[in-house]
Amino acid sequence: MNFDFIREALPQVLAAVPVTLEMAVLATIAGWILGILMAVARRNKIPVLSQLCAAFVSFIRGVPMVILLYVSYYALPMIIYSATGIDATSVPAIWYAIAALTLDQAAYSSEVFRAALNSVNRGQLEAAWSVGMTTWQAMRRIVFPQALAVALPNLSGLFVGIIKGTSLAYYVGVYEITATANLLATPGLNFIEAYVITTLIYELISFICNRLFRSAEIRLGRFRPKTAA
Amino acid sequence: MNTFQPIEILRAVPKIFQAFPTTMLILLASLAFSMLIGAVFAMMSLSRNKVLNAVSKGYVSFMRGIPTLILIFLIYLGMPQLLKQVGIDMTGISLTAYIIACLSLSASANMSEMMRSAYLAVDKGQREAALSVGMSPAAAFARIILPQAVGVAIPALGNNMIMLFKETSLAFTIGVLDMLGKARAVSAANYGATKLEIYIAAGIIFWALCFLMEKGTKLAEKAYTKGRKI
Repeated sequence: MNFDFIREALPQVLAAVPVTLEMAVLATIAGWILGILMAVARRNKIPVLSQLCAAFVSFIRGVPMVILLYVSYYALPMIIYSATGIDATSVPAIWYAIAALTLDQAAYSSEVFRAALNSVNRGQLEAAWSVGMTTWQAMRRIVFPQALAVALPNLSGLFVGIIKGTSLAYYVGVYEITATANLLATPGLNFIEAYVITTLIYELISFICNRLFRSAEIRLGRFRPKTAA
Repeated sequence: MNTFQPIEILRAVPKIFQAFPTTMLILLASLAFSMLIGAVFAMMSLSRNKVLNAVSKGYVSFMRGIPTLILIFLIYLGMPQLLKQVGIDMTGISLTAYIIACLSLSASANMSEMMRSAYLAVDKGQREAALSVGMSPAAAFARIILPQAVGVAIPALGNNMIMLFKETSLAFTIGVLDMLGKARAVSAANYGATKLEIYIAAGIIFWALCFLMEKGTKLAEKAYTKGRKI
């Protein structure tokens, strides 16, 4: 173990943590919104849209993250170019990585949200209507909070998964934690030191995320149905 | 800018598929080893010994927190360096063996959780009833609990297998010619002119195989649970 290297590299690897978090958080926000919309579309069996969503979910779940990253990295500039004539090759790679991660989160979270929405008894919606709420109000105030409480443990797993997934953005040239560690390790062949640092950082991030989701679960626990499972 | 030529996707499929045996070897070997490792940690977490419980819990949460890519780099690039300092030479080990080791470790956490919850899903009365008719604890496990737990675990096993299958695509990161490695090689051979088409072809192959695995899991579940009360 080369401790001088660790002392030198640690701040630089830590400086890459915001890049990883930026990718994970943006992809999660965009992906979960898409996921909710897809879940609602599939739950209400909207024709065409519902089948498209099902095909999309099956595709994303069957394709490895790396391939998804490559395809979005090479395909999006082409699509943007042919649609608008804008040369998108100068767009930073991180946006293509975020696009790929968003699609991944959308597919997986839509399944989570679908199951969660199904778990809320339909009587809840009907009861909300009967006291004069509109469908939107009923969804927002009655159905969603309960569905979220059910979905949260799975969403926590998805978020930790996306943090781990960002490590693959290295292959489309995003300088996040993994890429930075690799770059620093290569000249002096300090691989073991670099990856021990990286492992600890990822473990710490996962730990903190798990804790945050856990406390959110406890707070949302009051929306859980009181009956025993 | 390159134009998109869909015909190239079809041309790439058979070339990528040449590496199918390598991918399958990695998948099946890591599946077997991850289940073995998972079984050990599942037993530890189910035991009454608090130390073993804690070790198993720590292992599972460690493996769930580390990206597989980092695990691969740690083991493939880091471990030989570390072992060289204590005089062990690891240069003779094949790249495929490294990948199998890494994927087995990373999947073993999920396997352990799967086995643990399947075991706990079997009603406690089953074991008590088996013991009451004079079965030994080992016989009760092998003949009563295990067959029921397997039925419970099949859907999760299918999911874990699909996840593992997708992770085999990381083999290219250390230079194994699995399907994605092959795709990259094919792409490099024409200087990346059709890389998008080739990656789409790889994606379609993975998707098709995942689809088959999903259907296979459903069939297996149906066949296994037929006539059993689970």
